Amino acid sequence: MQAKAFMRDMILSELEDIVGVENVSTGDSEMLAYGVDYFWIGRMWADRGQKLPVPEFVVRPKSAEEISRLLKVANYYKIPVHTWGGGSGSQGGALAMAGGITLDTKRMNKLIEIDEKSRTITAEAGMVFQQLEWYANERGYSCMHIPSCLTCGTVGGALAHRGIGIMSSKYGKIDDQCLQMEIVLPNGDIIETLPVPKHAAGPDLNQIFIGSEGTLGIITKATFKLFEQPESRQFRAFMFPNLTEGLAAGRDIMQKIKPSIMRLYDEAETTSIIKKIIDVEEKGNFMNVALEGIRRIVDIEMEILCEICEKHGGRDMGSEYGERWYDNRITFFYPGHIMDIPQMFGTMDTVSDYKNAEKIYWAMKNAIESNFPGVRFIAHCSHWYEWGTMIYDRFILDTPPQDPDEAIRLHNQIWNTGVRAAMANGGVINDHHGIGLKLSRLMKEQYGPAMQVFEGLKKSLDPNGIMNPYKLGL
Amino acid sequence: MLSQIAQKHADACRFCWMCRHLCPVGLQTGKEANTPRAKGLQLSLTQRGSASFDANMAEGMYECLLCDACTNDCVTGFEPPLYIREARTQAMVEDIAPAPVVQVLDNIERTGNIYGEEKPTFPSKDNAEVLLYVGEVAACRVPQLAEAYMRLLDKAGISYMTLEQEPPSGAMLGDLIGFTQEVQDQGAACVKALDASGADTVIVLDSYDAAVMRQRWPEWGLSAKAQIITATAFLDQLVQEGKLKLRSLNQTATYHDDSRAARTLQEFEPPRALLAAAGIALSEMFLHRDLAKCCGSSLANAYMPQITLLTAQGRWHDALRTQAQLLVTTCPQSMELLGRAVPQDMELIDLYTLLERACE
Ligand SMILES: Cc1cc2nc3c(=O)[nH]c(=O)nc-3n(C[C@H](O)[C@H](O)[C@H](O)COP(=O)(O)OP(=O)(O)OC[C@H]3O[C@@H](n4cnc5c(N)ncnc54)[C@H](O)[C@@H]3O)c2cc1C
Ligand code: SF4
Ligand code: SF4
Repeated sequence: MQAKAFMRDMILSELEDIVGVENVSTGDSEMLAYGVDYFWIGRMWADRGQKLPVPEFVVRPKSAEEISRLLKVANYYKIPVHTWGGGSGSQGGALAMAGGITLDTKRMNKLIEIDEKSRTITAEAGMVFQQLEWYANERGYSCMHIPSCLTCGTVGGALAHRGIGIMSSKYGKIDDQCLQMEIVLPNGDIIETLPVPKHAAGPDLNQIFIGSEGTLGIITKATFKLFEQPESRQFRAFMFPNLTEGLAAGRDIMQKIKPSIMRLYDEAETTSIIKKIIDVEEKGNFMNVALEGIRRIVDIEMEILCEICEKHGGRDMGSEYGERWYDNRITFFYPGHIMDIPQMFGTMDTVSDYKNAEKIYWAMKNAIESNFPGVRFIAHCSHWYEWGTMIYDRFILDTPPQDPDEAIRLHNQIWNTGVRAAMANGGVINDHHGIGLKLSRLMKEQYGPAMQVFEGLKKSLDPNGIMNPYKLGL
Repeated sequence: MLSQIAQKHADACRFCWMCRHLCPVGLQTGKEANTPRAKGLQLSLTQRGSASFDANMAEGMYECLLCDACTNDCVTGFEPPLYIREARTQAMVEDIAPAPVVQVLDNIERTGNIYGEEKPTFPSKDNAEVLLYVGEVAACRVPQLAEAYMRLLDKAGISYMTLEQEPPSGAMLGDLIGFTQEVQDQGAACVKALDASGADTVIVLDSYDAAVMRQRWPEWGLSAKAQIITATAFLDQLVQEGKLKLRSLNQTATYHDDSRAARTLQEFEPPRALLAAAGIALSEMFLHRDLAKCCGSSLANAYMPQITLLTAQGRWHDALRTQAQLLVTTCPQSMELLGRAVPQDMELIDLYTLLERACE
């Protein structure tokens, strides 16, 4: 016992030697801040007085070099390292489930370069994404990665779980927007991906680390595309008679034009959340579309949009509803508007091709509502691709069990049921929130024997298994 | 430990990530504990009995500038400074406040100011209708700002007085220990002194004092007989009335709104009008007016100078991205803080010294 305590002090002084005494924390109260991320179970634990999963040490490095030295120490002592950006991830990905070290990246928040010639921006990975966007805005550009967690998630966090913003249908996901990265490997080596992402020099190194959720290394720097601010952004809302027509319209729109925002709500969400916010008092499937860019082009796109929606029975509701939604888009996430404890809830964001999308929606809805009485299921499609869409399906239970163990059991059963229904019908486990702790157990079911590719990578890059244990099925 | 209302606010923040991007301390220290969410979470856990309010937590409650950037962002109207101030009261009651904080409290108790020094006095006329309330930071650390302001009043033909024994307004102590009875007593003594002066207008140099006088005193049932006006607003009136004539300096500057002027008093236009009147082209920082990033307060500087050096550097970083090489502020505390970290090729000046140049 005494020997262990002595080792703790030795390790602490090694960590302090690397990042400075003021950038290592061990205080019990400070650790609490790292014991809860946006994952429902973490919040429930905090609410019900359960012990929180906290690390023993928090380190706040300032550079890739410091991270490199930290990982060498962690590897020597075989101490787990959990990377924490903003802690705003909803999958429990940043929680220190194995104790050890939490590496908070937020001191690594420098802007490195804005290259107006190539239209790129490079920053350290601990920068809050809003700050990166402001730097771009100062020069008249935008990164066009505008998620609802813009003000809380970091650059590294967005990359680590393959995040997405509300403009994704036109400007892409974070994995489309990122051009290059610097990564510190678990053994402390600092590597850079190739200067540009399109090449024929083997598999795409970027895409190995994007989405790796801190299990294969720590992203320390990233370069993104910059876009000119659009000359015009125009909204239009439609009410479709049913989901089938709404989805078909969405597909046709993606084939012909590129909306930035396109959101199609199921009837349950149209008549609940949407009704509250934009005051639409009718049944059907509400769709809100934004077109943007050069005004002349947008005007033409608008004509095409209206033609497509009319063809699919979408009633034109004009621009006002979309504008109102846009003005309120952040309000949804503040206390009092967003779902919160004591409710139990989860967002299953499934992604699939158009052929399966509606089938998956009904399969998930039926599986959840029939197996779990009292659980509501609502959904919308808010990220569209040429070949398919993301179904942002949420379950809500107003009065979950009080007992934390029972609550976890029910929570996981609902998740298993919903996700398995999606996978059985051709859907993919997650579109943009990532896997984390929440879905870790389902990764093998999703990938089957293909999982060995990730396991092989993990084994060779992180032989001691110190990087973010229990996450991503690794 | 917390009042019901403070608990409600802490409970709202505990699982909310929305406003952290504006927290000057969080941004500079990179500590998760320095986010409104973390402070709300910690206190809500203590309220539920699953964590104890210990010295480590108390220390975290002092790593906040009470700048209200979070409050200002909050769409649903929650105010982290409300529970952070109450936690500070508790830290004092339980005797677990950090030693440097206790040292500052001792300074205030001994001398009435955070520095623990005798406060310098300024020349004064008897029975003037206007009283200039200098405040401890301008008096002790930035006297040139106060003196420049007085010369501007002279130039405008305004007869003014100052108090030989200027009592504290309660601003500093209120930020240090929360709005306790002791703080309200300080406010009451200050009201008494202002009333006794017979002035019908009190010009306040430091927006932290102005904010407590205008916002808190009425809440505590205190009201001075005189009208209370900020130094900048008063000067703006003088220029508008033609009592102070300014020539064009033909320069470019950026302007730093301090957090109390920006968010408590919501006073953005008078300094900008004065800059315009002196022919100063304004190159605004990206975060300005009510979004302005706090550079640190003199109180925080007195007990955590390493962190306030970082927050001052954070604000300079914003200024460096403007077209200006001159940063102007009206706030004595900002002069003290930003003065610690002036980057090469940048100049820091208080508005009154600058306006004096425009009077020559
Ligand atoms: C209010 C709110 C709205 C949201 N809206 C959206 C949305 O619109 N779109 C969306 O995609 N997501 C959204 N999310 C969830 C999203 O997962 C996170 O908000 C965010 O992108 C995660 O970033 P973070 O820095 O907080 O990461 P964290 O939560 O700190 O970490 C997430 C995962 O990434 C890993 N990680 C973090 N930084 C690094 C790094 N530098 N290198 C390697 N691994 C790292 C962590 O170990 C963890 O596994 C929302 C969350 C909230 C709270
Ligand atoms: S002040 Fe408002 S926005 Fe900030 S954490 Fe609290 S509830 Fe969220
Ligand atoms: S008052 Fe200012 S320093 Fe304190 S938590 Fe809010 S934003 Fe941060």
